Amino acid sequence: MGLSLSALAERKTLWPWLLLAPLTIYLALFFLVPLVEVAIMSVTEPRPGLANYEKVLTGSLYRKVFLNTFGTALLVTLCCLLVGYPLAYLMSTVSKRAAMGILLLITMSFWTSFLVRTYAWMVLLGNNGPVVWLMQTLGIAEPPPLLFTRFSSTLAMVHILAPYMIMNIYTVMQKIDPSLIRSAESMGAYGKSLFRHVYLPLTAPGIANGSVLVFVICLGFYVTPVLLGSPREQMAAGLIGNQIEQFLAFGLGSAMSIVLLVVTLVILGIYHRRFGLDKLYG
Amino acid sequence: MTLKKTHNALIRPNRRLFLQGTAALAGASALAAPSIGRAQSKELYINSWGGPWLEAATENLFNPFTEATGIKVNTVSPVSFAKLAAQVRTGVYEFDVTTLGGGDIVAANNAGLLEPLEEPYPGGLFQNGVGSHAFATMMAWRTDKGWEETPQSWADFWDVERFPGGRSLQRYPARVLPLALLADGVAPEDLYPLDIDRAFAKLDEIKDHIRVWWTGGAQSTQILRDGEVDMIGIWHGRYFEAEDAGAPVDFTWNQAELDSAYWVVAKETPNMEAAKMFVEFATSPEPLAGFVAQANYGAMNPAADEFIPDSAKPRMPTAPGNVEMTFEQDMLNFGADPQEVAMRFDEWLAS
Repeated sequence: MGLSLSALAERKTLWPWLLLAPLTIYLALFFLVPLVEVAIMSVTEPRPGLANYEKVLTGSLYRKVFLNTFGTALLVTLCCLLVGYPLAYLMSTVSKRAAMGILLLITMSFWTSFLVRTYAWMVLLGNNGPVVWLMQTLGIAEPPPLLFTRFSSTLAMVHILAPYMIMNIYTVMQKIDPSLIRSAESMGAYGKSLFRHVYLPLTAPGIANGSVLVFVICLGFYVTPVLLGSPREQMAAGLIGNQIEQFLAFGLGSAMSIVLLVVTLVILGIYHRRFGLDKLYG
Repeated sequence: MTLKKTHNALIRPNRRLFLQGTAALAGASALAAPSIGRAQSKELYINSWGGPWLEAATENLFNPFTEATGIKVNTVSPVSFAKLAAQVRTGVYEFDVTTLGGGDIVAANNAGLLEPLEEPYPGGLFQNGVGSHAFATMMAWRTDKGWEETPQSWADFWDVERFPGGRSLQRYPARVLPLALLADGVAPEDLYPLDIDRAFAKLDEIKDHIRVWWTGGAQSTQILRDGEVDMIGIWHGRYFEAEDAGAPVDFTWNQAELDSAYWVVAKETPNMEAAKMFVEFATSPEPLAGFVAQANYGAMNPAADEFIPDSAKPRMPTAPGNVEMTFEQDMLNFGADPQEVAMRFDEWLAS
């Protein structure tokens, strides 16, 4: 009995594909098919043509909302980086146990639902919330409005997205060979210059990975900015939802989705040329 | 707005076959094709608003209907106008019956999303929807602000000198524009057709003081109850929720805006018979009376009045003594294309 060698080899090469098949079929069915339908709708609803795209690309509202979306995503990414980098550094310097403890604390926020976290911010930042109370106790008679501002929506989004940044940077930092730092020191690099010329470049892949992930996820945020943000700062996802829910403008909403998708792909493309997309996966 | 039929016809059969075949393959038929599985069953899927609406509907409409007919009622949230359209486009139905307000029902009927219904009681049919209940968008405020006077009208809502504090209105121009005109001094009987430009000019004045344009009923209750805003244009049912929760709030029926909710059946839904039976049941005098009495709505079927206890009336916008102070929305004499106005409103918001 037994299989010939060549059959075995063939089986070996087929095996990964077979394993991938359920996922591939699933994605094709539930992601690609609807996506293609969205693309078709964007050029056929309400009538065939590119009118929807013309509207999206030239209308002042759409331009404003898209600019605001990318601006917000950029701001959130920067904040995540500012918060995440030092924290990741701390994790890479403490003992493995302590690092796991910190990681646990960071990922704990993933255990609560998105909506609950958003409402939690409403309670915290509300007029009768602890933050306002603290400010009043400290003698600020008229605390500035915290809720329904760019501040509150940015804060909540940073809270939700920071773990992605931290984990990406931490993975890279953890792998840095300590002897590299020591040799840099032996060559006379200290403090600022050690950081700028040695440590920062070594951690750059982590920064890039984390930033791309945070940026791309943030582009599609919907609930958080709607519930916490200021009325003037609309995100693209909210506007798309509005087009469909309020106006039944499936075509226009689809065109906006496609534009958002294309811009995101372009950003990923630039990133890929610069850093290589494969690095995103470790 | 018309949905393109040719495109539907092209996409639908293929997609359905495709979904059926692959669903069987993946063993996930429940996920992919809800309507196919339950086409023959004695069940009905109703789109629910949640909150006090759902409580009252379950007790007075759903449960009695099941008892009377043996048809089980399931609810689906949230209420989605877009889903109604998407169902008819794709032929995959998540709910058979829903309620629409006066603004949406005209748009939905124009788009061919509604099954034609028969008039169940005189005057009960409007745009293929059966009139169920009236609700009001009214002015409410916090009583803990130390204002010397009590707000009386929408003009006071606009008056941030006498009544300083944050404001909130629904993000729904068809309801908000008339309020702006009232604030600008237009008499209720002269509102329609609306002077759209004048309304937007008046809205400019209050824009910086609107901290939230609320989009959900629960959200409006929360921001009033928790004092995130000090004055709000709110649905009356949602206001009473805040009041019952013990929040320091008050309201006026004066210049409250009456809107009507209609039961509609999704076009070509597989549960047509049960759906139509339900709509008739839900708008018949006794069940409707129980529903509106519990949820504080106003019954649109006049025959329901005799079953409504007097104790429920003070909280009903349509009760004598209240209704005289209110005014009615008039979507058929709106003054412009509501869709275009809504687009303009969106642009105005972002500017």
